[in-house]
This record gives sequence, C-alpha cells and structure tokens, in this order.
Amino acid sequence: MRYYIGAEARLRRTIEDTAMSVFVAWSYEEVITPSVDYYDLFEQGMGQAEAQRGFRFTDNDGRLLALRPDVTSSVARMAATLLSERARPLRFCYAAPVFRQQPASHAEWRRENTQLGCELIGVNGHTADLEVLRLAAEILARLDLDSSYCMTINNVEIFNGIAAHLKLEERAREELRRLIDTRETAELQRFLRSFSDDEARTFLQPTQLTGKREVIQAARALITNRRSLAALDSLEQLWSALEAHDLAEHFEIDLSDVSSLDYYTGLSLKVFVHGAGTSVGRGGRYDGLTGSFGRAEPAVGFVLNLDALTEVLARRMTEA
Amino acid sequence: MITIAIAKGRMQDDALALLARAGVCLDEDARNSRRLAIADESGQYRFIFVKPADVPVYVEHGIADCGVVGRDVLLESQADLLLPLDLGIARCRMVVAAPDAEIMTRSLGMLRVATKYSQIAAAHFGARGIPVEIIQLSGSVELAPALGLADLIVDLVETGRTLRENGLIVVEEIAQSTGRLVVNRASYQLKSEPITLLVKALEAAVNGAERA
Repeated sequence: MRYYIGAEARLRRTIEDTAMSVFVAWSYEEVITPSVDYYDLFEQGMGQAEAQRGFRFTDNDGRLLALRPDVTSSVARMAATLLSERARPLRFCYAAPVFRQQPASHAEWRRENTQLGCELIGVNGHTADLEVLRLAAEILARLDLDSSYCMTINNVEIFNGIAAHLKLEERAREELRRLIDTRETAELQRFLRSFSDDEARTFLQPTQLTGKREVIQAARALITNRRSLAALDSLEQLWSALEAHDLAEHFEIDLSDVSSLDYYTGLSLKVFVHGAGTSVGRGGRYDGLTGSFGRAEPAVGFVLNLDALTEVLARRMTEA
Repeated sequence: MITIAIAKGRMQDDALALLARAGVCLDEDARNSRRLAIADESGQYRFIFVKPADVPVYVEHGIADCGVVGRDVLLESQADLLLPLDLGIARCRMVVAAPDAEIMTRSLGMLRVATKYSQIAAAHFGARGIPVEIIQLSGSVELAPALGLADLIVDLVETGRTLRENGLIVVEEIAQSTGRLVVNRASYQLKSEPITLLVKALEAAVNGAERA
C-alpha cells in the first residue's frame, strides 16, 4: 500500500505519459480492461500457478471472480472474441494496476503494481519481436535511462528443444529448468551426469550463457537438435537487427532466462535498471495464449513496472 | 563497488578465509572492528555482516549484490536468488531428530514438531502426507522433546553432540547444507563483469581447498 504525493505523483504521471506517448506514436491503441473479471479468464490466460496469486472472491451467484493479476489475458480474449473480425495486426497498449499476492518479505512485495504494457497480435517473426524491443528501448531512452538499463533476451525454444531431445519427463524437466534458472552449476553437472548426451552441456558454462553474439556461437557448437537450432537462428536474426539499429550495447543474450517456460513460446525478455534490485519489466512471445480463447495467432508484448521506474527516477532526482 | 553480505557466526571466519584466498582481503583492524559495513583493501568490495536469515533479504532486494549463507537458510527463506557456487564451507545436515526411532511409525494422529525452520519442516512432512503441528522456536530446540513440548525436532546438526547430550537420535536426514554464494538477479546483469570475476576467483579458491 503506497501513497504518491506531490512531486512523486507528478513524476509518476510524467513517466506514464512518456510511455503512453511512445506507444501511441508507434500506432498502439489504448485499451482499458475491467479491473474485476471471472477468475477462469486469468487461469486460462496465465496458467494456474500464476493466476492463483490473484486476489479471488465470489460473485453473488457463487462464481469465482478475481482482481486482475494481469492485463494480457483480457487483451488476448478481446482480440480472439470481440475483435476476431478486425484486420491484423492488432496493436494495443495500456497503463493499468494489477494485483497479486506476494510472499512475505519478498523483494517484489507490493500487492499492487501499475503495468505500462503493449501487445502486438497477429504477426510472427523477428520483425514483430524487434518492434516491441525497439519500443521498450525508446521508452527507456526517453526516460533518460539510456546509460543505465540492460535488457536480456532469450528464446525459450532453445531450452524446450534440448529438454525434448533428452526426453525428460515433467518433473525432471522442471528440475533442469530450476537449476538453469538459479545457475546452480555444480548441481546441474550432477543432474546431467546420467545423460550421455552432450547438448545439455550448453548450460554448464555459466560464463557462456550471458553475453553478446558469441553466446549464440558457443551454443551452436554443442546443440544438434532442430528445434533448438531454429530458435538459435531466430535469436541470431534478432540480434543482427538490434545491431543494425545500434541497440546491441543495451542488450544481452541470456540463455539461462527460463523462468516462465509455460507462458512464452519464443522470445523472452527482461529489463534491468541500475538502482532497482529486481527486474523492472518483462515480456516475450506467447503464441499459445489467444488459442486458449478460441483463435490461435502469434502475439508478442512486454510490460514495464511503473512503480519500480518511479522509485528509481525519484531517488535519482533527490541524489542530483 | 560490489557489496557482499556475510552471515555472521558459524560461517563468518570460513567465508572470509575463502574470500581472502580469492584475493578479496580485509585487513586485521577491519576484521576486529565492530563496524558492520567495511570496505576491503582494494576498495572494490564492501562487506556487510548480518544475521544469517537476513542475508537472502539484503541480496534479493539488491542492497547487497552477493552474499555468503548456508543452504539451510536459503531453503527456509525461499528467496528468488541466483546460486552459482557451492563454497563447501560450514558443512552440516538438516535432520529430523527424536528420542527414539519408532516415533515416526507409532500412530499418533498428529506429530508435534519443534523447529527454527518451519518452512522446511512443513514442506518435508507435507510432501509425504504426514500431518504435523509445527511449533516455531528460536533456539535450544533440542530441549523441546525432553520437556514434552514436541514429539520430534527438525534442526541443523554438525557433529551431533548436542543431540546426544539431550537424548535425541537422528531419525531422518532432510538435506545437506553448505555455505553458498548467492547473487542478486539484477546485479548479475548490470555488474556482470566484476561479479563474473568474483565467481571465478572463488571457484578457483574452492577447488584449490578441495585438492589441498
């Protein structure tokens, strides 16, 4: 529970306006979605584990409602139902508070956070991925964070390809994912000892997991399965495009970013800013999402956390 | 500058010795002083000394970039951190201990478990469907069964001497615990160069210690 008063409220408003003006300049239309909706919507959209973190209550007919834990679910359903006839691509943006239960003493402890976000629905491929990355970069630059942010990108299909190739059952796959996500190299080594296969060794070199283009080359030397190779190709294409737009200095490839595998289907991204102890934004491609509302089509998007950005910029103002 | 949070107590000396072998040294005066935040000789690192349970908190919030703390504390805190290195120091075990071995099989309907580690205990028994009542204590847990507060305890043991002297035996081992290097997720990206160097230097120091 957080109050913004006077100068802080003005700063927060300025940040929101800046982001929204960049979205609008890129032809993204603003949407305002309901704050309260049926819980089923969010479970379909986010998966059970994430949706359960929402605050839930019942309607007077007994149906389960939730205070929206994200906006993407609502936008995806809207695209698949209300706007199913509209010409693609669809471009939407929003600035809206979302509500989640948080573990006590967790660094992201706030129940309420305002997301500045966008969704690009109906286009596939790295041009669409590039569009949202450039958008995020432009917002951060306009907020004067040009010299202090770092965006990590990954393609989750690299991991999925390897897990499928190793024929891992669900529990082992989750264990592998967790060990890579937390970079427990020694445990990972022990875990992989039972597999004669070399591909998973990609994840054993922590220093080769994060970096620029050389990360892709190092991974290519070990990976042979087609699914992962296709993902590496598309990541490399995206990287070349970022270089062509002079953005590569702000980006890092991070093959160990496998935190939300069930949600993303290709690109995944995280935004870090000096002065914030946790990531201030995240996003990626979720081609599976609109399908759960009856119309499968490619989609990509990201959100920035307005409250976290306000905190960083407010501290910077008082220090200056 | 990289800020390193060190768990005070049991692990502190081993952690500092290992860091010294990795080239991160505190001078004598600093080590003997009572200040809780000290810079190292090179000025590249700052140490903060906090209670073990607070290390994950400082690191998760990014106030400290890295930390040295036992796996037992990490299991209990469930903080979202990177765990790149097992330092192999302060080795101990998280165990279930009771006055006699049959206690687990005797039908009690509900076992009372005294512990400092309520999350670990609840997860351990919960995963096996054993109904337990967790009694949270903050120390001298070994007393609880003797005085009738609990049927068994979940606690950390190093040598097992305290258990024996209080008439307890180890019934089950839950996990092995050693000191770990933990790193904040944002720092890992934003200060990747110095942190990678630190991880590599510590890794070499750990491997050197194992060979010796």
